[in-house]
Amino acid sequence: MDARLRRVTREIADCKNDKTSSIKIETIDESPFHLKGSFPGPEGTPYQGGNFEIDIVIPESYPFQPVKMKFITKVYHPNVSSASGAICLDILKDAWSPVLTLKSTLISLQSLLCSPEPNDPQDAEVAKHYMTSKASFEETATYWTHIYAGGPGSKDAKQLNSGDDVAIAGLEHTHVDRFVELGFPKAKVVDALRRLNYRGNNIRNIPDDRVIEELLK
Amino acid sequence: MSSDYEFSDDDGDYYDDGDMMDTQEDEDDDEMMGSYDDFKITPKGKHKSYEVEYESLSQDAVEQLMSADVEHICGIFGVDRDAALLLLRSMSWNKERLIEKYMDNATSVLCAAGIQVPEPTPETSRPHSTTARRSTRSTNKFLGLSSASKPKSPTPPAATSPKSFVCPICFDDSPDLTTRALVCEHQFCTGCWATYICSKIRDEGEHAIRCMAEGCHIIAPDTFVRTVLSSEDGDPEENALALSRFHELVVRHFVASNASLKYCPYPGCTNTVSCPSASSKSSLILMVPTVSCGARGIGGQSVSASQVLEKGGGLGIQAKEHKFCFGCPIDGDHRPLICTVARMWIKKCRDDSETANWIKSNTKECTNCLSTIEKNGGCNHMTCKKCKHEFCWVCMGPWSEHGTQWYSCNRYDEKAGIDARDAQSRSRASLERYLHYYNRWANHEQSAKLSIDLYAKTEKKMEDMQVTSALTWIEVQFMKKAVEEVDKCRMTLKWTYAMAYYLAKGNEKDLFEDNQRDLEKAVEDLSELLESPIEPETIPQLRQKVTDKTVYVQNRNEIVLEDTANGFLEGRWKWNAVVEGFDEPERLEY
Ligand SMILES: [Zn+2]
Ligand SMILES: [Zn+2]
Ligand SMILES: [Zn+2]
Ligand SMILES: [Zn+2]
Ligand SMILES: [Zn+2]
Ligand SMILES: [Zn+2]
Repeated sequence: MDARLRRVTREIADCKNDKTSSIKIETIDESPFHLKGSFPGPEGTPYQGGNFEIDIVIPESYPFQPVKMKFITKVYHPNVSSASGAICLDILKDAWSPVLTLKSTLISLQSLLCSPEPNDPQDAEVAKHYMTSKASFEETATYWTHIYAGGPGSKDAKQLNSGDDVAIAGLEHTHVDRFVELGFPKAKVVDALRRLNYRGNNIRNIPDDRVIEELLK
Repeated sequence: MSSDYEFSDDDGDYYDDGDMMDTQEDEDDDEMMGSYDDFKITPKGKHKSYEVEYESLSQDAVEQLMSADVEHICGIFGVDRDAALLLLRSMSWNKERLIEKYMDNATSVLCAAGIQVPEPTPETSRPHSTTARRSTRSTNKFLGLSSASKPKSPTPPAATSPKSFVCPICFDDSPDLTTRALVCEHQFCTGCWATYICSKIRDEGEHAIRCMAEGCHIIAPDTFVRTVLSSEDGDPEENALALSRFHELVVRHFVASNASLKYCPYPGCTNTVSCPSASSKSSLILMVPTVSCGARGIGGQSVSASQVLEKGGGLGIQAKEHKFCFGCPIDGDHRPLICTVARMWIKKCRDDSETANWIKSNTKECTNCLSTIEKNGGCNHMTCKKCKHEFCWVCMGPWSEHGTQWYSCNRYDEKAGIDARDAQSRSRASLERYLHYYNRWANHEQSAKLSIDLYAKTEKKMEDMQVTSALTWIEVQFMKKAVEEVDKCRMTLKWTYAMAYYLAKGNEKDLFEDNQRDLEKAVEDLSELLESPIEPETIPQLRQKVTDKTVYVQNRNEIVLEDTANGFLEGRWKWNAVVEGFDEPERLEY
């Protein structure tokens, strides 16, 4: 049997047999090299109560080259792209070691949710939000967990279509409404305020002219 | 090969030179400069103002230079070759700095170079990483390696077969499994080592191969790599390939660390050029260091001159010499325009055509070495595999700036905004100005690309001529020479348009454009002549005409190159845009 297949098969089996672990790895289709991993959001974080799914692609030269992982579940985190789910984590790149396993890598992702590294961000806008206003960031991250990761209260939110776009962008309704009243479309205002990081103390640094300029682009 | 420009009026003489040169080249690549100088009209050591002095080195010759450094370090520190190599590599071959640091704190230098295991410290574990899964057989034997003892890298450990060992990578637990470890004593099976080392070399082009244990910074010394890749494990053919690639990577690293050396950029070529006079940035505003590695041919199938002659010249016409710029990564010869301005032009052409889908494209060029990088996975923190430059995918700015000022990543948005506003206000006239130069530039580039066709056609004509006239193969070489000259001059012309775009208005520019015009006219005349049908009875006249025009074209080219090069040395050229190393322009033109 091909060494890569042997190792992956063994890893999947080990993970299945470990009843105490909350980390899951399952196959998606016939291929043993395209998998789906999942883990619960860590307790005491905005991700608590959510279930996070990871797309796993095992490259030809695994385990000598790192496994490719990205979030399937949308997650609001400085080191994860809010659009694509791409992850900025050292062990997925140069710090990879062939002794790391799919499971240990998933555990690292889980612990990444506990300890964001905003200085090496994957999503600069989210990182800005985190740096300027941690409380507001956590609110948004919790909201995302609710509507995308099946966190508490998610059912209601899902039924009410796709959630509140102002909350998803981590903004305040009062702020958005102020510019909507000037006649700009709501989606455009949300977009502009998100880009400008119109949150918390940072609002003081953004005069209305600047917002208007951004809206007129 | 600078001697191409030495075109004697007596064509008989010239062709003999050509043949002898080729034979010579085949025999001793290393002595290229020496042997060519014999055929030069200019006295030995003296160069034309648009030529630069350089030397071509084979991989063996570079390895000898490396060896000298290694021996030196072995002698001073009393370490073995493996350790000396790793030390030098970790310091980018800066001997002085290495010696200084080593004298200051040998242990820390040895640890940083991956030769010695550092004393365990409480906070070695990194965030978001699981702790290293250490082999059960690892001992602390080597952890106490005293800095006073002569550090020796381990003799390549004989593969051992420990009892009840499970390889932590392949999970193989067969009793006859053999294992290996570096100084850190992290044991893995020999098969995994071979696959790992091959993958690092082949997939990543890495010469500093770390131990496979997580978080372990010990680097496999050369002897270890060689032992693993020459053992029975893995595919022998793959291993042999990986080993030769490994040697090449080490040589490339040495060359890249030395400002007066540059690796030949032609695919498959392993030659190096040494050009100390172009090693500083300031020298590059005075001249264009076009060099040639001494080999010919493309795609790793370098052809020797004797092969060329055997095949009746067919290959000779296409097997171009490996000419490149020592000062920048632009392909081929960009004389007469200096590197900075040539790069400004290339960037301008690219931005103008690609602004729209810039961010969406999946490949970009490394801002440092210009090699193409494919986005893999989706993380924006990119590291160029070739030069290890780290940058941000979104804004293309250096990643180091993102560490603390990650918000500069918005530069893309801002840039797009500025570009858009500029585009709106950009007057029709200045766009037309750009297009004027761009169209001429692109036309010469296009024609140069089509020169392969012209070569093929010319070859056919040369064959016909031998049939329909009494001329011998050597005697019909004037056609080949003419085609080569046209090709070369189109290259010059192409870059003169980029230069003219940035030249400030005035007398100097007028004179420059006069010379450009004369060369262009001469080139087009000769091209036309080459395309015209051949009548057997007029071959002698045609030969005379082509030869005369070739000489004329060559003289015109010489004038453009010489005059432009002198202008740089004299500080005569003024720009209409800001160019690094030059005075601010009096007025800017957009
Ligand atoms: Zn193994
Ligand atoms: Zn190790
Ligand atoms: Zn070459
Ligand atoms: Zn250059
Ligand atoms: Zn690069
Ligand atoms: Zn950036």
